[in-house]
Amino acid sequence: MRLNDWQLALEAYLLGERVEPDSALHASLLGSPTLSVEQGLQIYHHAYRARLQEVLREDFPAVHYWLGDEQFEALVSAYFKANPSRHFSLRWLGERFADFIGQHLQGGQTEALVELARLEWAFTLAFDAAQGEPLSLAQVAGLAPEEWPGLQVSLVPSAQCLPLTYNSLALWQAAKTGAAFPTSTALAQPMLCLLWRRDLLSHYRSLDSAEADALQGMAVHGWNFARLCEQLAAHGEDVPLRAAGWLKQWLGEGLLQRRTG
Amino acid sequence: MPTETSCLGYGLGLRSHYYEAILEQRPAVDWFEIVSENYLVDGGKALYYLDAIGEQYPLVMHGVSLSIGGPHALDRDYLQRLKQLAQRVQPAWISDHLCWSRGNAHQLHDLLPLPYSEESLQHVAARVRQVQDVLERPLVLENVSSYLRTASDEFSEWEFIARLSELSGCELLLDVNNVYVSARNHGFDPWQFISALPAQRIRQIHLAGHSDYGDYVIDTHDQPVCDPVWQLYQRTLELLGPVATMIERDDNYPPFDELLGELHKARELGQTTLQGRVQCA
Repeated sequence: MRLNDWQLALEAYLLGERVEPDSALHASLLGSPTLSVEQGLQIYHHAYRARLQEVLREDFPAVHYWLGDEQFEALVSAYFKANPSRHFSLRWLGERFADFIGQHLQGGQTEALVELARLEWAFTLAFDAAQGEPLSLAQVAGLAPEEWPGLQVSLVPSAQCLPLTYNSLALWQAAKTGAAFPTSTALAQPMLCLLWRRDLLSHYRSLDSAEADALQGMAVHGWNFARLCEQLAAHGEDVPLRAAGWLKQWLGEGLLQRRTG
Repeated sequence: MPTETSCLGYGLGLRSHYYEAILEQRPAVDWFEIVSENYLVDGGKALYYLDAIGEQYPLVMHGVSLSIGGPHALDRDYLQRLKQLAQRVQPAWISDHLCWSRGNAHQLHDLLPLPYSEESLQHVAARVRQVQDVLERPLVLENVSSYLRTASDEFSEWEFIARLSELSGCELLLDVNNVYVSARNHGFDPWQFISALPAQRIRQIHLAGHSDYGDYVIDTHDQPVCDPVWQLYQRTLELLGPVATMIERDDNYPPFDELLGELHKARELGQTTLQGRVQCA
């Protein structure tokens, strides 16, 4: 067998479900007195699956906890069958897992499971996102008064905002701390979860809709401070105080960096 | 032969499990080897500790996904990222494995053995030259543990490695444990393997543990180095003189002091074996 054909045959074997090789692949290999062709192939077949399962168990501990070993393993197997790895790094194996759960599973709890998987993946993204250049309170306090109205910011690269309609945060926390795992339930009020990394630690908190609009306006739509005040004024708020309060909190939390471009 | 200045001494694989202990204890480790892929990220803990530890210790880079023998085109993006990481780390050298880890379409995330044929040799040698052109330095390649042999082999693994090094100019990372594991699995003499390698090309040695299933052995890096591997290592040093040596531990992590104890054992063995000869750091 030519090199390329042999490699394709072994690739197909590793990706396939069957532990028994086809006759062409078998004939291309030699066993030894201590390790037969079948045993040797099985070591690689098993290692491929075990490695992928282990990575997703680490990246999605709460989904794993919820489903239990057997169901989680079956779900992960189906996922890799539909989405074989295309990135050189194991770090990106779970990139499409939440979407896959939504397409693959049926039943009343699918939506909650998808949300939990999205939340867990968001934490992995925050974990090794670029640091960015978070603006400090001191830096902003040091701005000349005439620079204030024009100040434009964006979110630091790790910051993400996730809409949650289930108690996914409670499930995530329980899996992380080993506390009793709560039943998945719908929240009385949907919430927005803001999560980000500051230095080496991941943080998260809820965001009410007024703050979310303001943060999105400044950090996504590029409002400057003057525009933020204008927008708030339309709601008849105690404008500059509230805007300054939020800005101070966001800066204190390391959420913002200066907008470039 | 490695000279006093080219031999880094005795090192450990840098693993996140030991980041804090390394910075707190400043252990007597001469250098650390990083798994390159763990640091091909944009930020966070891994890069923070890489920089902090890299300020205090020499580093070398060891990759697992180059797939030098794969059927696919070389991943130029990966190579560029590796090169950028090298600019950050300033490694003494960059290594990966003599294997393939990616098929035509998919990443297989394993160190798969190659047929030791003339066709493989030409394929790999051409790709090694391409990689060396991008990285602008010799590539260091490690022998892998294997559980398969192909019927189309025209060379022994050691002949293949020696020829590859001659053809491509690559240097070698001799994993003594992998030689032992493959020798047990395929029934060859591990010393025949080691003694046939071009000594002047061996840049580094790996030591590690494995899981012994009686008839065969699996390379797991979750156990201490076993006695037969220590004996092979000693014989290797007698043959080669000083070579930068490190212990790989990737699972079932012992307390850090225990791992340092194992490294101390390597150092003592080196000092005893190399008495009167040029020593590593």
